[in-house]
Amino acid sequence: MSVSVELKGIGQSYPPPEEGGEMVEVVRDVNLTLGPGINMLLGPSGCGKSTLLKLMGGVRPYNVTSPTAGEILINEEPCTGPHDDAVMVFQTYANRPDLSVRDNVALPFRFGLWKKRVPQAEQDQRVNEMLESVGLAEKAELVPAQLSGGQNQRVALARALVLRPRILLMDEPFGALDAQTREEMQHLLIKLYKQQPCLVVFVTHDVTEALLLGDRVLVLSTRPATIADDFEISEPRPRSQTWSRSTEATKMKERVLNQLHESSTGKGSVRVSI
Amino acid sequence: MWNPYQELPSGTRRGLGIGSVSLVLVIWAVLSGLSLVAKAKLPAPWECIDAFIQLAWDVEKGESLLWLATKASVMRVLVAGVVVCLIGIPVGILMGASPKVNSALSPLVDPFRSAPIVAIQPVMVMWFGIDELSKILFLFLGAVVYLIPMVRDAMQAVPRTYYISARDLGASPWEAIRHAVIPMAMPRIADGVIVSISVMWTYITVAEYVNAKVGLGQLIANSKRFSSMPKVFVGIFVIVALALITYAGMTWLKKKLFPWEAT
Ligand SMILES: Nc1ncnc2c1ncn2[C@@H]1O[C@H](COP(=O)(O)OP(=O)(O)O)[C@@H](O)[C@H]1O
Ligand SMILES: [Mg+2]
Repeated sequence: MSVSVELKGIGQSYPPPEEGGEMVEVVRDVNLTLGPGINMLLGPSGCGKSTLLKLMGGVRPYNVTSPTAGEILINEEPCTGPHDDAVMVFQTYANRPDLSVRDNVALPFRFGLWKKRVPQAEQDQRVNEMLESVGLAEKAELVPAQLSGGQNQRVALARALVLRPRILLMDEPFGALDAQTREEMQHLLIKLYKQQPCLVVFVTHDVTEALLLGDRVLVLSTRPATIADDFEISEPRPRSQTWSRSTEATKMKERVLNQLHESSTGKGSVRVSI
Repeated sequence: MWNPYQELPSGTRRGLGIGSVSLVLVIWAVLSGLSLVAKAKLPAPWECIDAFIQLAWDVEKGESLLWLATKASVMRVLVAGVVVCLIGIPVGILMGASPKVNSALSPLVDPFRSAPIVAIQPVMVMWFGIDELSKILFLFLGAVVYLIPMVRDAMQAVPRTYYISARDLGASPWEAIRHAVIPMAMPRIADGVIVSISVMWTYITVAEYVNAKVGLGQLIANSKRFSSMPKVFVGIFVIVALALITYAGMTWLKKKLFPWEAT
């Protein structure tokens, strides 16, 4: 499976928050080629992580031309809008409160695009498999209000993976969860990734999370965002406590933290959790 | 101690409600009973009860005027209500889903919310005659101008993530509206329906003012003509009761249909 996401000289400016100000340059000249694996995108909040992720997913803002400069290639083809191969998972799960867990996971199959592509029998099979994988098989008939935050995020994750995307884009997906649930979800992601390897871009501002999950770690500087650091982690997953405490891991963590502190210059904030 | 979020025991709550209503009844009884206010202006409660019984069953004619009037008014509100929903909801959804449609239609709809709809009634009569059609149209107009903006606002209040996420999962723009935005907007759309149907009950007297053969508004108008204040009061009370029943019924239905809304 060859899959790639390429950003070529990407720049993004947004209109100013108040009328009459100047355009705000949020991202400047980002060049990046991503391949299969879990790519962690780190940066102070407000630096433009979501902006970059949405560009990769073909999600364009309504209020401004996007990107301002450069182009995005997905599997070597220019991408200018919604893309079948890329699916996003948001921090706010966006589950339908009136549908059961099963119907939430099966929601994309109501859209003409997938209805045509995936036969009914396979749809059902995929949904059942996904419910099993994320551990919600027993809760399939419940509605989102009866689930915890972590379980809701599982629904969102299952809904994305049921399409077998080659590119999975996650925007601080576990950011709203408590520490223990977040840890469970991280392990779930590792498991799912093993079952269904693809190109993952995972935005976080949690250094520990980046080191736990990433094959590759990208650190953004702020205003305008550029790639400040970019390194790979060869340690296989799941990564043990012993590795997390090793000099290799500690050094990586310090390296990232220093970079974040340097680039945030008081504007953003960095959460450090150990 | 004043606590705006205090949970009152149901006994206290009911007691306070019954207390205030009883107080008004007592004041009313005293004012009219002791003729502190002229009888022609304020009938006594027992006179109203008499009038109610008389209207409920006319022994001479062997029919219930009140029931006939109620049936006629309820039918009008029902027919107008169905038309209001059939037209108001789709138009509101279109306005909420398309900024262009919204820009085009909102100058036509929004000002009517504060327009003196009642003053339009004579115009309706002039254009559409004095029969059923103009009554239904008047009720329709009075209510639909509330419903359309509320449906639009309900659509616009749905967090954008739902639309963006559906589009990202492969939905066409219309599919995203249909499968992500509209379902999320449904509880607030239902609120709009409740408000606009309730509004119709306030317009029913105006709608039936001209040439109604039968109806609660007609009953009130006729009673006034014959200076029968007790009957006027009965008409008003029945309309209020119907409005309350409609409201309670629709609120109950909404809770049944959208139990998840509270979250
Ligand atoms: N569509 C938009 N219009 C105007 N400003 C935007 C838009 N999207 C993002 N921004 C601004 O760009 C900056 C970066 O946003 P974002 O990419 O969401 O950062 P991050 O995800 O790193 O927190 C923020 O200051 C945000 O307010
Ligand atoms: Mg963000």
